[in-house]
Amino acid sequence: MEIQIKSLSKDFFSEGKRIKALANVDLTIPANQIFTLLGPSGCGKTTLLRCIVGLETPDSGEIAIGEEIVWSEEKNIFVPPEKRGLSMVFQTYAIWPHMNVFDNVAYPLQTRKEPKEDIKRKVERTLRFVQMEGFENRPATKLSGGQQQRVALARALVAEPKVILFDEPLSNLDAKLREETRKELRSFLTELKITAVYVTHDRIEALSLSDTVAVMRDGRIVEIGTPKKIYFDSDHRFVADFIGRANLIDGKVKAVEDSYTIIDSGIGTIACQKCPDLSPGNAVTLCIRPEFIKLMEGDTGDGRNIFWGRVESLIFVGEAYEGEISITDTRLITRIEPTANVKEGDEIALSFDPDHCFVLSK
Amino acid sequence: MSRTMLTTRTTLTPSLIAIVGFLTVCPVVMLVFGSFSEGLGAFGTFTLEKYIRSYTDPALASIIVNTVIFIIGSALVATVLALFLAYLNTRTNIPFKFLFRIISIIPMMIPHILFSVSWVLLLNPSNGILNLLLREILSLEGAPFNIYTLPGMILVEGLLDLPIAYLILAPAMSSFDVSLEESSKVCGSSDLRTLGRITLPVLRPAILSSVILVIVRSLASFAVPSIIGMPGRIYVLSTHIYRIIATGFAADFGMAAAVGMSVLATSISLIYLYRYLTSESEKYVTISSRGYRPTVINLKNAKYPLFGIVALISSVLIVLPVLVLFYTSLIPYSMVPSAKAFAMMSWKNWMEVLRDPISLLSLKNSVFLGIGGATLGVILSIFVAYTIVKIRTPAAGALESLSFLSFSFPGIVVGVGFMWFFVRTPLYATIWSLLIGYIATYLPYGIRPMTSAFVQIHSHLEESSRVCGGGTLYTLRRIVIPLLIPGIVSGWILMATMFVRELTLSVVLSRPGTEVLAVQILRFAEDGLWGQLSALGIMMIFISTTLVVIASVIGAKLTKIETVIS
Repeated sequence: MEIQIKSLSKDFFSEGKRIKALANVDLTIPANQIFTLLGPSGCGKTTLLRCIVGLETPDSGEIAIGEEIVWSEEKNIFVPPEKRGLSMVFQTYAIWPHMNVFDNVAYPLQTRKEPKEDIKRKVERTLRFVQMEGFENRPATKLSGGQQQRVALARALVAEPKVILFDEPLSNLDAKLREETRKELRSFLTELKITAVYVTHDRIEALSLSDTVAVMRDGRIVEIGTPKKIYFDSDHRFVADFIGRANLIDGKVKAVEDSYTIIDSGIGTIACQKCPDLSPGNAVTLCIRPEFIKLMEGDTGDGRNIFWGRVESLIFVGEAYEGEISITDTRLITRIEPTANVKEGDEIALSFDPDHCFVLSK
Repeated sequence: MSRTMLTTRTTLTPSLIAIVGFLTVCPVVMLVFGSFSEGLGAFGTFTLEKYIRSYTDPALASIIVNTVIFIIGSALVATVLALFLAYLNTRTNIPFKFLFRIISIIPMMIPHILFSVSWVLLLNPSNGILNLLLREILSLEGAPFNIYTLPGMILVEGLLDLPIAYLILAPAMSSFDVSLEESSKVCGSSDLRTLGRITLPVLRPAILSSVILVIVRSLASFAVPSIIGMPGRIYVLSTHIYRIIATGFAADFGMAAAVGMSVLATSISLIYLYRYLTSESEKYVTISSRGYRPTVINLKNAKYPLFGIVALISSVLIVLPVLVLFYTSLIPYSMVPSAKAFAMMSWKNWMEVLRDPISLLSLKNSVFLGIGGATLGVILSIFVAYTIVKIRTPAAGALESLSFLSFSFPGIVVGVGFMWFFVRTPLYATIWSLLIGYIATYLPYGIRPMTSAFVQIHSHLEESSRVCGGGTLYTLRRIVIPLLIPGIVSGWILMATMFVRELTLSVVLSRPGTEVLAVQILRFAEDGLWGQLSALGIMMIFISTTLVVIASVIGAKLTKIETVIS
């Protein structure tokens, strides 16, 4: 089910200061997709989620879930959270400690007063789906973090909600479990064909789970796109920097060729992805990710996008070296194969892949 | 919907501040007025006469000296014993650790006045059972011990306040970061040296808070000074106030208020010092989040001798008083347990108590105050705790400070303050004046368990129920109330047991017709009717215990119903 958000605003007051949690957010969350709200802490992503689910009241704007308007300042509509037919997985999981696993999962069905046999059947099916069958009578206090997470997911799924919302559901798990659970969650959600809104500050989570990512900052949506678009071809300097390691180089457009745009910069002339709406003389920022800077050994080819630099530092991080290379006054981070024959202080030749050099327009 | 919730919330806080403010501020304000007035019936004109008279009293100097020795002595006895017990329990492999829990909880159920009486029965110089026994065995001329002395008072008060000191020190000791000690040992220190150089200094804030809290409590203590101090003509401030209002020809509530002012001021300053120190100690003692167990020190050969000491302390605290009282209730006059004594045993004292109309009235009144007072007190505590934990506006902070303030009020002083108030209302000399006074004085004891119960309920637990389709009332019934029940039950038990045995406030407010158990016991002690006193005392312990059992059973039932419904 589609979610439509129109010019939603909300302010918080903290220590006498007014903080804009949401500033005129317009957003359409398409149906049956995994949609992620990504951003640094305090960017308003959790507030937006809580407004959708009804735990927070916005100051102005409108929210519609499917055809139904659930909040509108103008039309004076407020549908309370229990009537919105959504479900949510909380950061703390919010497993009720005085109930066992069965009652925790059955709760949404019990509030709807469904017949006992139906409840039993649905809870069993859902627990099997999240691989927690046989845990029905386990008290909630006797569950590990990973198990609590599954019970919370089962409780969110059991009533077959129109939309399921996730508020940083993996942030309380340790690194290894987080990785496993992320994969499982991905397969659960893809299998279900359900609209999911997922809030996180973890870029890897956002990239690996989502169909669409919306990056937020200071109560605004900065950019929306598929994970690949956001990573390889983001329009905003903030997004490019936030979503992964990035080398940002300032420069000026020199020429627009058939297949590439040529930029003049502090380290020389760089060929990058074609940008039809630029004309010579425009000031731009280029972004190139460390993994697309290649070390040239021996043959330096035709000389396009090749730069000479000095290895300032070289850190072994397991699967590769992380190198810091200075070209004139600019320092770039690169990924160097662990087998490469370089050491600190060496003069080396680097090549930039022009298809992965992209211009940040904003 | 959330807007209506907001308005009920905004009206809740001011009305609570009004109620709690009245309960805490009223006795203090009336005390101040009273101390500058001419007489209890009519305030008259502003006068300093009461201050001049009470502070130029030549007896006052020795009373203050006695008080200082008494409160500091008790604080040291209680804290040293508590440190010893807490260290053994949390950090060594001493056997039968369940005994420590008993030590920390059970003495709260034995009323202070009865505990003091049992020591008088054991160690009074004329016919104390232990004294008689030792005289026979060692064929001595006089009694070897005299309880009616300052050291006697200090010993008994120290034992009475031991549980409080233990409850402060044990958590601090079990939660501090062991790596501080481990690094000391790595540096080459022995266990004992580590204890002296690292453990105790790190615990200093906790130790200081324990000392201060015991000082505040013994300053307010009335049972020990009245039962043990007064027969030996050793007066401290609380009994001095009592003497001014309850003995002699003319009770002078103005002078009592004037003396009470300085007791109150001392108590309030100490409580704020305590509060400051506890917030400091939270910074100081680092609690690590991973679930570690502190390293346990092997006591080896000292294990059983040390356990013997613990067993002795627990029997002195719990078994001995009850045993002595029960024995005394059955014999006609004080004597060493012997064949003769057992032959003379009868239920005569019990029958006399049950035929005595005033004792019966005091039983009825105390049961009413225990059940009714605790119920009202818990209901008020639920609202106050909810406001403090969940609403958290600056006004809610003020509420917390207010409710904390009354924690420092010595019962007898609050009683004098309330007396100045009630005498002007139709509540004077009714059971309701006692009820209001009790709730005002003991409110913090109800708020504490409720606050921790509310803290436990993370807002996500409620929100999650709302998102799952549960409305406000449904969420309240299935999530909030069931999670609160343990807190409600323990708050109720704490208040009910305190109200059943209340003495210090009651000696001031209780009038003919509103006698309560502890006051009746004090009368028996003053008349030397030890047998009847003991019988009534055992009944009092029985009532407290019954209330505790009933409340726990109901609490367990309510929690169970929840799982059956779902």
